[in-house]
Amino acid sequence: MTRAAGLGRDPGDIGAASPSSTGTTTGTTTGAGTSTGAGPQRPASSGGKPPRRRTARGRAARGRTSRGPSAPATDRGFLSDFDWRRPHVRWTMRGAHSLLLIGLVVGCVGPMLWLTKAAISTTQDTLRAPMELWPSGVDWDNLSTAWNQAEISTYFANTVWVALGSWFFQLLVATTGGYVLAVLRPAYARVITGAVLATLFLPGVIVLVPLFLTVLDLPLLNVSLLNTYWAVWLPAGANAFNVLLVKRFMDSLPGDVFEAARMDGAGPLRMLWSVALPMSKPVLGVVSIFAVLNAWKDFLWPLIVLPEPTMQPLSVRLPIIRDTVELDVFLAALLISMALPIAIFLVFQRLFLRNAGLGGAVKG
Amino acid sequence: MSATIRWVRHGGLSTLLLLLPLLLAFGYFGWYPIGRAVVMSFQETNLVTEPVWVGLDNFRSVLADPLFWTSVRNTAYFTVLALLFGYPIPLVLAVLMSEVRRYKGLFSALAYLPVVVPPVVAVLLWRVFYDASSSGVFNTILGWFGLGPFPWIQDASSAMPSLVLQATWSNAGATVIIYLAALTSVRTELYDAAEVDGAGVWGKIWNVTLPQLRGILLITLILQVIATFQIFTEPYLMTGGGPNNATTTVLLQIYDYAFRFGDYGAATALSLLLALFLAVMSAVYFRLTRSWSTT
Amino acid sequence: MRRIRIGVATAAVFAVTLMTACGSGDEPDDVSDAGDAGSSGDSGNGTDDGEAGGEPVTISVSNLPPSTESATREAFLARVEEFEEANPDITVEPKEYEWDVTTFAAQLAGGTLPTTFEFPFTDGKALIERGQLADITAEVEDLPYAAEFNPSVLDVAQDEAGNIYAVPSAAYGMGLHYNRALFEEAGLDPDQPPTSWDEVREYADAIAEETGQAGFAQMTQNNTGGWILTTLTYALGGRMEEGVGEDVTATLDNDGARRALGLLQSMRWEDDSMGDNFLYDWGTINQAFAAGQVGMYIGGSDVYNSLVTENGIDPDDYGLTVLPLEGDDAGVLGGGTIVGVRPDASEAERAAAVKWIDFYYMSKLTDEESAVADAEALAANDAPIGTPTLPVFDEEQLAKSDAWVADYVNVPLEQMMPFKENILSQPLVPEPPVKAQDLYAELDSVVQAVLTEEDADIDRLLTTANDNVSALLSR
Repeated sequence: MTRAAGLGRDPGDIGAASPSSTGTTTGTTTGAGTSTGAGPQRPASSGGKPPRRRTARGRAARGRTSRGPSAPATDRGFLSDFDWRRPHVRWTMRGAHSLLLIGLVVGCVGPMLWLTKAAISTTQDTLRAPMELWPSGVDWDNLSTAWNQAEISTYFANTVWVALGSWFFQLLVATTGGYVLAVLRPAYARVITGAVLATLFLPGVIVLVPLFLTVLDLPLLNVSLLNTYWAVWLPAGANAFNVLLVKRFMDSLPGDVFEAARMDGAGPLRMLWSVALPMSKPVLGVVSIFAVLNAWKDFLWPLIVLPEPTMQPLSVRLPIIRDTVELDVFLAALLISMALPIAIFLVFQRLFLRNAGLGGAVKG
Repeated sequence: MSATIRWVRHGGLSTLLLLLPLLLAFGYFGWYPIGRAVVMSFQETNLVTEPVWVGLDNFRSVLADPLFWTSVRNTAYFTVLALLFGYPIPLVLAVLMSEVRRYKGLFSALAYLPVVVPPVVAVLLWRVFYDASSSGVFNTILGWFGLGPFPWIQDASSAMPSLVLQATWSNAGATVIIYLAALTSVRTELYDAAEVDGAGVWGKIWNVTLPQLRGILLITLILQVIATFQIFTEPYLMTGGGPNNATTTVLLQIYDYAFRFGDYGAATALSLLLALFLAVMSAVYFRLTRSWSTT
Repeated sequence: MRRIRIGVATAAVFAVTLMTACGSGDEPDDVSDAGDAGSSGDSGNGTDDGEAGGEPVTISVSNLPPSTESATREAFLARVEEFEEANPDITVEPKEYEWDVTTFAAQLAGGTLPTTFEFPFTDGKALIERGQLADITAEVEDLPYAAEFNPSVLDVAQDEAGNIYAVPSAAYGMGLHYNRALFEEAGLDPDQPPTSWDEVREYADAIAEETGQAGFAQMTQNNTGGWILTTLTYALGGRMEEGVGEDVTATLDNDGARRALGLLQSMRWEDDSMGDNFLYDWGTINQAFAAGQVGMYIGGSDVYNSLVTENGIDPDDYGLTVLPLEGDDAGVLGGGTIVGVRPDASEAERAAAVKWIDFYYMSKLTDEESAVADAEALAANDAPIGTPTLPVFDEEQLAKSDAWVADYVNVPLEQMMPFKENILSQPLVPEPPVKAQDLYAELDSVVQAVLTEEDADIDRLLTTANDNVSALLSR
């Protein structure tokens, strides 16, 4: 049961325990989750310590070198060199690959290219002849109208702010928590790890409403976070997935480094700052990228906790803007909203694809 | 007393302080809401008066709601369609892509690109594509081949498939990348062995590649089911649950209970039912994989 | 700048102080608010110091137009300034808050609801029943015009004992909006809008035929489908609920509703004159209408204001007429806006809030000087003035207040005359008295079914909907 739930849950998304999951998970969920899904799965499945350590180390190795462990063994797929030398196989595959490339360009990039085109077309062109290229000229003004008059600039800034805060709190909780649980290992560490793991097993949807009521009136403190960015940032920090990911990574760091630091008289905080964190850069990069991206994508949770229009991020504001601006300006607004995540992806492409694929290591 | 001092001196206190962010974050936003969900499902909560214990009333009213079975049926329908569209396509793509010798990265990047588009942007963009007039984007393209115009989301029978098509576009890329990674770890000596036995290309795919992907295929299957059962953004923004409740899903129903009608008890009761169902799914899946992997 | 403001506001949160500081208002205010509350230890309602009298008091008020609608926003801010000058003890924090049933309860509980806020007639009774409005009977009765309210209008803001919880500020009747340019393009005379439902159907067909746009369109989502169907049903002599108080019964299954749905069915499936989009709500249909994609649709008589400020409609294309009334008991559905006060407001805040309501909403109806001042502020910013409304007091008063601002009218009144000349002779019927929003939600799917399924069985749909609403009413 545990294992099943673990398998089922953790790749669900990076926001396992946060409401973002309920809002954003669809289809096969984000690549982020799946990738790192490799993480907590194993400890859960084996239920004991030894495999945890071993896999963690294996994983860390994978994280740091660009070549996976299986890389040396495989330089072939289901086709052998012999197959490749057979003309009909070769030509079939080449044909299939060309078709595939065309299909991917049309299917995956096509909609975005259309949006780019439509964002600088007039409304009437888009409505009457959506597939023609600027029959009545290019309308560059849409972009500036969207940015200024429709105030996309404000919502863009809000989104950046939401993403930065979520990133910070996710990193704060994951690094301190992961460090204590993996390196300092107090007696109660196993209990805490178990409790963190437990939140992974429950579908995010069950906490949506109680979490909302919690944010309305924080127990003990009796404050409401409604209409403050804290309402988005703080719950984002309660991300079991990140904590376990960082913990597993730190599990694999060589213990003697910490011993040496301790001998030199370094306290726990100093060891975290000068030893653990610098050595954990790869995993922190992964956590960071997906934290920012998921904050950018999140919709349902900010919709609920940020009713004040001037504070809302793009995802919440776009559906409302649609009713108040012309179609061409709206499409320009969509294009602007999409630009940053795509830019991040293009820059950090390798990181994305490598980690989205790590889920493959789950096999077996 | 001295025990406490010793504990502090051994770094117990600083350890606890370092753990504080995690304890606070999970205490407030992880563990507490989970417990509260269970309590709330037996209470009437309207944010105005103190919550009142109502026993199983919330569950009863949720089950008696005429929309309950509609939303369950719709959600199941979405899941099935998502499996039909979204399950084989990434597999075929990944198997094909695994044999790409040059520019493999380009292929992967192209396939993954839609995944990074924010869901709200994707849904709103596709809503434009689905314009039902003959000059809508999709209807124009289909018109070139003498097809359509189709009503897309404006018709109860085609609304759900339209949502699934969009969701598949948005998410398939992630699955492709997972499969691709899994394919690189297929034990290649088995191919050699199969070739020695005289297997052809199809034989190798069928007898070597796919069986080795079995584990990952099952995982993505269950993940997809769990994720699609929590579908919200697509129906909320694309159709608002319409036409005629054809796309009202369970999560949309939960949202409506809580945020449209202020019935927080019913909303949590339905959430618990959904969570229970997903837990059962996971358990079934676990049994399946275990019995499968031992045989 | 933005970040600094948020920083200040959020610091206040961590100091476990009140929450109204966060989110809006300018920086100095946030800081001082936080300080006050910290000392009073009161959470949830920041501006409350508990003392009445000449003490300074701060209230927040709703419906500040967003900065994308700069004209009306400037006019609003100008009025706020005037009010603060006239009442030096009162500080007004304008908020962009707009009534939204989905966030109302949460905003109230979370302390972010403004002190006063506007909401539609339909929600009055429910809010009063749930204790979500302050009792402002004493304050309202002090107003000079308290006795002059149209009793049936004031009723939406009263409980059964007659206590007053809100002030009706505007009333509208439903009307038929039409696009004059599409009329002309279809060979119809824009000065002769349809006067019967058969004509509506005929005109819609002609528009669809000649222009390729939707001849007639209908809202269907987020309760608007039920709202418009109820309007259409009233116009054809039906009612959705009968009885009063505890004895209200659902009567969705009436001849008027059947005729109304039959009309939609024939326009949709026989004539194909309703276009391709059947998932409209209030915002999207206004957008489509302003963009020239809709020939005719039913909406509140004051929608022109939004069409101008939000959707940038070309005023020359706009036309408004009354709904044709057919059948014995036919009437036009009327609704409106009422302004209430948060239930946890202090006495001083309540008094200040009612002063604001009197100043901003009511005085333009009751006092010539204020009416002119308001109109001037709007006119100076090119915000619409003169859109037809219905009397909150009586017809005479409305005619008088219209006359005060006649010089400032900047809407195409001539094109609204078919409505203005006839609306007062139409019997006004209020919205369903009990659980109107739930009833509308139920009818949404009925309308959607008729518009998206060719063989929809109207009788069966209405029977099912009636059963569902009856179950809700009996709870």
